[in-house]
Amino acid sequence: MQTFQLAIDNLVGVRRMENCSKEEMTGLAMEMTHAVYPHDQIYGRYCTIQSHIDCPPEKAFEYLSDVYSLQEWTFSMRDFSPTHDPGLVTAIDRIGGETTIYTRTIANREAMTVDYHCAWDQGEKLWMIYLMRVVPAELTLNKPGCVVLWTNCRHPFYDENPYPEKAPTSRKVWVGDMWPFFYAGHQIELENLKHILEYRHANSLPMTVGGAS
Amino acid sequence: MRTVSLIDVASYMPRQVVDNEFFLNGDDEHVHAMFRGVKRRHHVSADESAVFMIDQASRRLAEKLNLNLARDVDVLITNVTCPDMPFTGCGATVAHALGCRPKWILDMHNGGCVSFIQMISHAQSLMTSHNLKSALLCNVQNSAGRIFGSVENRVRKQARIPGDGCGVGYFVANSESPVMSVVHRNFGEYADDMAIVRDDGSQWWEPSTHAGYVDFSETKVADIMARANRIVPEVIFEACRNAELPVNEIDTLITNQPNRIFLRNWREALQTPREKHVQTFERHGNLFGAALPICIEEALNTGQLKNRSHLVLGGFSHAGDFAASAVIQWRPA
Repeated sequence: MQTFQLAIDNLVGVRRMENCSKEEMTGLAMEMTHAVYPHDQIYGRYCTIQSHIDCPPEKAFEYLSDVYSLQEWTFSMRDFSPTHDPGLVTAIDRIGGETTIYTRTIANREAMTVDYHCAWDQGEKLWMIYLMRVVPAELTLNKPGCVVLWTNCRHPFYDENPYPEKAPTSRKVWVGDMWPFFYAGHQIELENLKHILEYRHANSLPMTVGGAS
Repeated sequence: MRTVSLIDVASYMPRQVVDNEFFLNGDDEHVHAMFRGVKRRHHVSADESAVFMIDQASRRLAEKLNLNLARDVDVLITNVTCPDMPFTGCGATVAHALGCRPKWILDMHNGGCVSFIQMISHAQSLMTSHNLKSALLCNVQNSAGRIFGSVENRVRKQARIPGDGCGVGYFVANSESPVMSVVHRNFGEYADDMAIVRDDGSQWWEPSTHAGYVDFSETKVADIMARANRIVPEVIFEACRNAELPVNEIDTLITNQPNRIFLRNWREALQTPREKHVQTFERHGNLFGAALPICIEEALNTGQLKNRSHLVLGGFSHAGDFAASAVIQWRPA
């Protein structure tokens, strides 16, 4: 045990009570704490957003884990239909004109995580991954409802379309061109999600509309 | 309100310059991030009273502007970090030393590191309500030599940060370099996060063999930092908005200079390039309220502050109980 700990404390960049004083730690914290941060520094490589939603976590999870809900709360994914591959659905992402978007939803009820594995134009390599997690607000904020966390990682394909031959010929835009707007775009969609869930919960309506449009 | 203008500033820096060896609390690399970055600072000696410093700086200013001190000072305002005497302010003694006959003398004690801006407001109010022409505003920071230079205090981690100095400014009711806007914000809830303490727990008026020093509530350090990051840019944005000055058109920014991290953060928040943010932290340390007039003089001496430009002042006091900002159009004609 002790040998392992020594090894850890000797690793460059590892700072723990054992090799870094509390004073030094506060100093580092001050150094790292700025009044403002450039947008790119916060959202350049990863885009994480979150919101409190006044709707029980189970209901939010139920809604999110139904892939067809995406046609309601996303800005531009419409016209969903199943494929012959179970679990894989297609839709039109109207932000890309007539772009087909493939989505596979991997949900874990216990952890209340819902990951959308997506891609434009092809369904073999689903590299656009939207990671979502529902957290009970009762536990984390001491209030009813849930917190939805949503993270995107900037896969290198965002910077360059690896399958240009599969794109509609007339399309000029690439999904990754919009990365600088991901914070804003996703925030707006998260607001959509919040308003829909809060409305349905408050009025005791069914949470999902169910099935393809 | 009458339009008032900052005509000029002058300073007096105490004779004794103290380098980091003096402090016996580690070399610069090993001190806490909050307390790094000062290479030397001035300390007042016993014979350099607040009155003496104001007298020296004011005489320099009078000489520069060819003032007749007996006639040309209607309002005299002082702010001294560590007063020469408890109970009384030094304004009356200053007036006598300079041979001034001001109609108003105000000794202020709550404006801290942005007292210069607070004094501008008071001067403007008095000049407006009493139809007066001129004001001499005097800032003295003398707690470095008087408090942090003591043998007992110089081992403290924060002892190397303060530096002493005196800056005075001369204001006239005209449009030569008009003050375009002044913004003040009071946050009484933060007032008790800074205190003068002694290790034996005694109050400053009680007999003790312990030296008093300025201390900040340790549990509040993160919060003090967060509030300084927030309130200083906020008041500066507001003062600029009131003066219809886009923040990216600030030509010279001068803030109080409590530590290099705040200086960095405020500059970043305002997106002001480093060269436009005039400060003397490395060679003067934290000049408290005297930083503003001393750095205005620095900006004039270095040529950074040019005619027909905008000078923006801002900062906060103590642990954040007061924040202020002012926009001055520098010699527009």
